[in-house]
Amino acid sequence: MLRFIIRRILGFIPVLLGVVIFTFFMARAIPGGPFDFVGDRSLPPSVVKNLEAKYHLDWSQGKQFVSYMIGDEMKIGSFTIYDLDPSAPAYSYGVLRGDLGPSFRYRGQTVNDIISQTFPLSAQLGIMAIILGLIIGIPAGIISALKQNTWLDYSATFVAVLGVSIPSLVMAPLLIWIFSVKLGWFPAATWGAKPPYFQNMFLTPGFDWGNYFMHAVMPVFALGTGLSASFARLMRASLLQVIREDYIRTARAKGLHERAVIYSHALKNSLIPVVTIIGPMFAGLITGTLVIEQIFGLNGMGKHFVQSITNRDYAVVLGTILIYTILLVFSNLLVDLMYGWLDPRIRFD
Amino acid sequence: MFSKRTLLLVVVIAMLAAVAAQCGAAPTPETVTVVQTVVVTKEVKGETVTVVETVEKEVVVTKEVQVEVAPATRYDGKVTLNLNLGTEPPTLDPALATDTTSVNLDRNLFVGLTEFDPVTGDVSPMLATDWSVSDDGLTWTFNLRNDIPWVHYDPATGETVQVTDGDGNPRFVNAYDVEYGAKRTINPETASDYAYVTYIIKNAMEINTGEDADGNPTELTLDDVGVKALDESTVQFTLENPAGYFPAIAGMWILRPQPQWTIEQYGERWIEAGLIDTNGPYVLDEWIHGGSMRLVKNPLWINADNVQIEVIDLLMIQEASTAFALYENNELDTTGVPSPELDRVKADPVLSEQLRIAPVPCTYYYGFVNTKPPFDDVRVRRAFSAAIDRQGLVDNVLKGGQIPATSFAPPGIFGAPEPGTVGLGYDPEYAKAQLQDFLDEKGMTLDEFNSTYDIVLGHNTSEGHARIAAAIQQMWKDNLGTEVRVENQEWKVYLKTIKKNTPIEDEFSIYRLGWCADYPDENNWVYEVFNSEAGSNRVRRNCADPTCEETTGPSKFDELTAAAGIEQDPQKRIEMYKEAEDILAREEAAYAPIYHYTSVGVTKPWLTRNYPTLGGADWYNWKIDVEAKNAAMQ
Repeated sequence: MLRFIIRRILGFIPVLLGVVIFTFFMARAIPGGPFDFVGDRSLPPSVVKNLEAKYHLDWSQGKQFVSYMIGDEMKIGSFTIYDLDPSAPAYSYGVLRGDLGPSFRYRGQTVNDIISQTFPLSAQLGIMAIILGLIIGIPAGIISALKQNTWLDYSATFVAVLGVSIPSLVMAPLLIWIFSVKLGWFPAATWGAKPPYFQNMFLTPGFDWGNYFMHAVMPVFALGTGLSASFARLMRASLLQVIREDYIRTARAKGLHERAVIYSHALKNSLIPVVTIIGPMFAGLITGTLVIEQIFGLNGMGKHFVQSITNRDYAVVLGTILIYTILLVFSNLLVDLMYGWLDPRIRFD
Repeated sequence: MFSKRTLLLVVVIAMLAAVAAQCGAAPTPETVTVVQTVVVTKEVKGETVTVVETVEKEVVVTKEVQVEVAPATRYDGKVTLNLNLGTEPPTLDPALATDTTSVNLDRNLFVGLTEFDPVTGDVSPMLATDWSVSDDGLTWTFNLRNDIPWVHYDPATGETVQVTDGDGNPRFVNAYDVEYGAKRTINPETASDYAYVTYIIKNAMEINTGEDADGNPTELTLDDVGVKALDESTVQFTLENPAGYFPAIAGMWILRPQPQWTIEQYGERWIEAGLIDTNGPYVLDEWIHGGSMRLVKNPLWINADNVQIEVIDLLMIQEASTAFALYENNELDTTGVPSPELDRVKADPVLSEQLRIAPVPCTYYYGFVNTKPPFDDVRVRRAFSAAIDRQGLVDNVLKGGQIPATSFAPPGIFGAPEPGTVGLGYDPEYAKAQLQDFLDEKGMTLDEFNSTYDIVLGHNTSEGHARIAAAIQQMWKDNLGTEVRVENQEWKVYLKTIKKNTPIEDEFSIYRLGWCADYPDENNWVYEVFNSEAGSNRVRRNCADPTCEETTGPSKFDELTAAAGIEQDPQKRIEMYKEAEDILAREEAAYAPIYHYTSVGVTKPWLTRNYPTLGGADWYNWKIDVEAKNAAMQ
């Protein structure tokens, strides 16, 4: 088992390197550069030259890549191991030393700043939405599978289809309109913009929980209901399949109580498809969902995925994708480990 | 094996629980031990006396600690303005700001030599009390007031103190700060996007580009830039060419005084709250990047008595409909109206009273690529321009009270002609006649015209531009009978396509663009955009194109716009620009102006504000009726 985990983690290294290389050169291959234009006007070549020199975009792409990976220079005491730009002090220290580089768009901010400011909120929203989705979706799926073709099943399936097909783009403004503008129950926006919010992952004493959850209710609901609908449909289909399998028949044949058959034999096994999709979904959700963030005015990471490409803000493009990839490979590893527990037939070695 | 799996499960659950605990932990009950003195009344039966005893008892109380009300902050009860910026400001550094959000904030944090009067739009004194120009128009001398303090604000305590120098003397904004600010913007190491606006200053271009006129590395240093502080309260600018509009440039954010000591201490991070030193009506209290920002009034500001609003809470909500919902909940004092809501706002008796359509100094236009057939013929360009029903477009498609444009610079810009007085308006008969004239000469029918030329109208991807393009495409079809294809591209790709040196076969026939004022003078418009020698000239006037052997310029328009920039007499300049605008839009018909922008906004009745001609935000002049606002918030 431990050997399996270590082997997998070592396997991540070429994956991450491949993603970085691919993204690095693809981002630079898109026509247009970060400093070609300001608003509607083109910048004079001289100004672009100054900007490119400042951010080392006048270097060859190979040299830029080396600098992105390991930094401009490395010194131990007074001994210089290498220095790509002897005329200037080190500008970036490289991904391998934890420096994701500067943002071209938000001058004076680094990608590390941007991610540390926006990731916590995205992660909180994503985790709460998944939890809400599981709390609603799993029981609903189980009930409609066990009561197949009854009114309970039909109504649960109907609600699930509705939940899957109403996009959050529609759901979110509707929630704002009804519960904020008309009823005034919840604030329309500003979660993460004004306190209370988590500036980082950890709490400060005296945290105003009531206010915090009031802000969180609508975004979490808008995101979570769609998830619960997919979980319910998946759970239902999977459980229906599992209860027709031989080992369930065996369990019934040896005279086990129906409840024991379902809960200790069928249920665990039927969670496999749900766990399978939660893995990638988890990575996607906690790194931000553009639409929900946009509509509820949340200061999350989702917008940076999109805006950085529009702005040709190369370091931000790379940084966000790198974080996403890391989360993705690790959640897939977790999913694989979960398989072993859910289905005893799966072995790691 | 089993125990290993169990162990793993425990680990996984523990990890999940740890994460969940961050989000779901309830306040833990606190156990407090207190010593209490209790008075016990004892009644002894059988006797007629009641004895009162005092007993000391130790009691254990379990108390749930709960914070019900947020503790009062230093912002409570202050006159507060709630606004939505709509975006994270890319910077607060005056040398680096390029976008309206950053520039608006700089306007409230830093003081300029001059400012634009928020009502009339004229250049008026600010840091400079008066200024004079030498007879040759090259040397500008500004006399400065010396009572504006540099201030530092401490977000932890909320105190604003005057900055002192190394010897403990209080710092006031002086001519050396202006000189430093200008030189920092020009310094190529600063890499300022807007440095090119300073190229009017002597040697600024050579130093910023690092090359002299012949392309050799420059030998000049920053000391050779034509800006010099003569003493603490006099600063002198020497220009490359005479420029009557220089006082407007001198007030721009890129030439504002900058605090050398803070910038040298903190580098690029000097604009963060707690580090920044400012000199304007407001100071920076808090900046949660991407979320919100708060400014508070600078009590040491020279005009602090007239600044009524003490706290400005700024949000960064991009979605216009969400911002509008906040406005309806009284959480914003003013906001823009999203176009889907406009009809509802106009019909609503309350909201329609709060609606205000204000002009914005921007122009939306279609550029004809003057070297691409058939638009290399002026008659075709005139036909396409005159066939656009601009008023119809505003009434039926845009619906925001925009001003139909027949010339380039919008009202409020110095030298701009009244819309409709020059250029080509909507005239379908004239348009048809011009096109027919062209067809007759070429011996073509309209069908042959349509099959010969593949006319493509390009715009950057956006729903709004697509609607306008579709409407105008139909107008051309109805009025001229021409077939035009519409294509769109992602913004940066689009801007690359419409560059002047893009091969003509990759270029659209017609492209859309907008232009907004940097400073309120025609020079910023017709000269910087369309002059074939100095402007960006994307329409490729005078055959400025790789396909042509040589350019055919300079034409009368080029000469007029160059001369008007140097001319000292304001009245003459107005006339020259009027003629130039007419040549550009009618005689040459190099482009088709479509409309001047407006901003459609709603403002709560308790907020009294200006709508500066140049856009922008003079929050320090705004006033709030506190009682009315508080009453509405109840």
